[in-house]
Amino acid sequence: MKIGVYFCNCGTNIADKVDSEKVKNEVLKNPENEMHFKTIDFMCSEDGKESLEKDLVANKIDRVVVSACSPRDHENTFMRVLSKAGINPYLMQMVNTREQVAWVTEDKEKATAKTALYISAASKRVALHDPLEKKEIDICPAVLVIGAGPAGLKTALSIAESGRKVIIVEKTPVIGGMPVRFEELFPNMECGPCMLEPILGDLLHGEYAENIELLTLSEVIDVVGSYGNFIAKIRQQPRYVDIHKCIGCAECIEPCPVSAKNVFNYGLSERKAVSFPFAGALPNAPFIDNNICLRSKGEECSLCKSACPVDDAFNFDDKENIIERNIGAIVVAIGSELYDCSNIPNLGYGKLTDIYTGNEFERIMSSNGPTDGEIRTSSGSQPESVAIIHCVGSLDKNHKEYCSGVCCQYAFKFNHIIEKKLPGTKILHLYKELSIPGKEEFTLYHHARENHDATFIRYNDIKDINVKEKDGKKSVAFKDSTGKEGTVPVDMVILCPAVIPVEESGKLGAILEATQDKFGFFEELHGRLDSSQSKIKGVYLAGTCQSPMDIQKTMSQGMAVAGYILSGLVAGRKLEIKPITAVIDSERCSGCRLCISVCPYKAIAFDADKEVSVVTDVLCQGCGTCVAACPCSAIKGNHFTNEEIIAEIEGVLA
Amino acid sequence: MTKDRKGTVPDLRTEQSGVVESGLSPTKNNGKEFEPKIVGFLCNWCSYAGADKAGTAQDTYPPNVNVVKVMCSGRVDPQFVMKAFEKGADGVIILACHPGDCHYKEGNYRAVQRHRMLVRLLGQFGIEKDRCRFDYVSAGEGDKFVTVIKDMVETVRGLGPLAAIKN
Repeated sequence: MKIGVYFCNCGTNIADKVDSEKVKNEVLKNPENEMHFKTIDFMCSEDGKESLEKDLVANKIDRVVVSACSPRDHENTFMRVLSKAGINPYLMQMVNTREQVAWVTEDKEKATAKTALYISAASKRVALHDPLEKKEIDICPAVLVIGAGPAGLKTALSIAESGRKVIIVEKTPVIGGMPVRFEELFPNMECGPCMLEPILGDLLHGEYAENIELLTLSEVIDVVGSYGNFIAKIRQQPRYVDIHKCIGCAECIEPCPVSAKNVFNYGLSERKAVSFPFAGALPNAPFIDNNICLRSKGEECSLCKSACPVDDAFNFDDKENIIERNIGAIVVAIGSELYDCSNIPNLGYGKLTDIYTGNEFERIMSSNGPTDGEIRTSSGSQPESVAIIHCVGSLDKNHKEYCSGVCCQYAFKFNHIIEKKLPGTKILHLYKELSIPGKEEFTLYHHARENHDATFIRYNDIKDINVKEKDGKKSVAFKDSTGKEGTVPVDMVILCPAVIPVEESGKLGAILEATQDKFGFFEELHGRLDSSQSKIKGVYLAGTCQSPMDIQKTMSQGMAVAGYILSGLVAGRKLEIKPITAVIDSERCSGCRLCISVCPYKAIAFDADKEVSVVTDVLCQGCGTCVAACPCSAIKGNHFTNEEIIAEIEGVLA
Repeated sequence: MTKDRKGTVPDLRTEQSGVVESGLSPTKNNGKEFEPKIVGFLCNWCSYAGADKAGTAQDTYPPNVNVVKVMCSGRVDPQFVMKAFEKGADGVIILACHPGDCHYKEGNYRAVQRHRMLVRLLGQFGIEKDRCRFDYVSAGEGDKFVTVIKDMVETVRGLGPLAAIKN
């Protein structure tokens, strides 16, 4: 074996402190292998690289030690030169002479001696190197998007526009998420359904709609595989209405003889067993709620079908379906919900009438909501005084420690709409903190502040607020932040509860093996750099399932996810797997699974038949934690094997 | 994994100046001529980059520490440390990413756990705990790298040559 040592002077950067001739003499003194030593002035220059390549070929070099700058600078550069010279690029070891010797050692003699020692150690190490090859695997470019709210739809549409197949799984019968249920949105009072209409339209009937498979009333029940090649199992509940055949005329609804509370209006109105969640809901087709439909109780009702002007739009034989899809990436966009205000009993939610959460009040204000947009108390009169309580459960160590970030803005939106619809209504804002960042968001705040009928009172603790009712009259008693107490009569109370993860987060997280943070939101790979990637490669996060956020941020995150997927998972391109991974020798593996418990990437699986652990190359990041943990030395860390590292240790101590 | 992190892994930086102090002042007169041999295991992403940062700043430090790069401090097998002492090292230092900053998420927590186990084991061989040190150096902390290296070299110089397991 012939080892070539290439010493870069880096102009005077290295040469000033390290004498290459002395290093050469030292290195060639007692070599274990045949050695070749060459000094090059600037090895990373075009001339330098050419000179290196020619010398490697001319001298028939087997292994290479490069003494130069930090491998973080030019390891890849010299690996490419090796490849061009026909040598496996992993048969090289770099010595960081510039950053870690020449620039940091005062004494020239010591710097020279240290460099020689490092080169000898590297020579011992490189003699043990294995030629390694990058592996390539085929990928499936299709994408699964879970959740058809703004985040999921933005991601889905962007990916579909690139020609990819996208499967959208939505648990409800309707797409568009929360904003389509809101009449107007902060900060510009834009109509929610109108704003999303173009996206929803494109998704259902646009140029790229054929790339999108929309599965409503569906949930993901199982996922196996890894980045590039997942298989997802999806359970779809029967809708009994074919969304492609239905023309959305609503003729079927009137004849239906049964009704129940409409959950899409938070139970504030009734809906028929066959119904639209709300007027204008997309896809424009009703669904049958099997919980209340007479047919599910064995009765032979078919009034809806009889009223339908279209043949076969109704299918009473529709069954629960288990659908399997191959995908390369998974996007979690399942949104969030609101904190249960009955956890704060002094606010009267759930016990007293006319106390609403923000979402309930959104529906009340909506023209397609339970009151057709009329703000009325339960007695049918106009409220003369409304209390809006901010920070309900947010910024509160007894409930949720974080600020939910969107409540101030919708509270001021409510202020604006109440003022517009019912001029002269007294509005009491009770808040702990106000947070209105952004370049557009201040206007609603200023409107509220300039509203002569609005009062702002800051409180310290939500416990200091009591919503009471006496003789049919409601009032809010409070202690403000200065300790002053007061009572204000109110007809209606709107609560702005903390934004929390949806109930299904934990279940879905377990299926995807994606972790949740201490609040139950999906945990991001990095809070600032990678908030749209989960800790599982190939599982991405968009929207409020990751953290409370507004629509703008949600959309940006949806696009970020699309970007990650489109750049990382390219149709026709194989997934390259770097060879610095762990490899388990199944002969030596005792099946103790310690490696599985320490792997940060869930990259090790257990083969129950053979009773051994197996590394999934595509997931392994090559950290070597499992290699160090294995009690049988059954795991080899490619390019950082025990033998290689020990040779280096012995080398530097020689 | 996250569960393991809580409570069981100490943040060793609670001491003054954010540096894990050796707690040992160098013996000035003892072994003035003695130049300790120290092996430093540095993780690729934080500590090795921190060492490079010191280099870029041309911040000098004694040449006694010979660096062996690993991808992650979690790769540092206790047998590497034992091997280093066996082969004549007077000290070993393991440098890792700060808690929560590990490029591989949690390799540094494994490293700190193994280090705690190691110092106990080394004690049974008669090797002082200050000869095997663990600290956190981020990619930006060139100055901390230099401080830690200088402190380590002086500490081991103060302890004198390691003869305990030579025989």
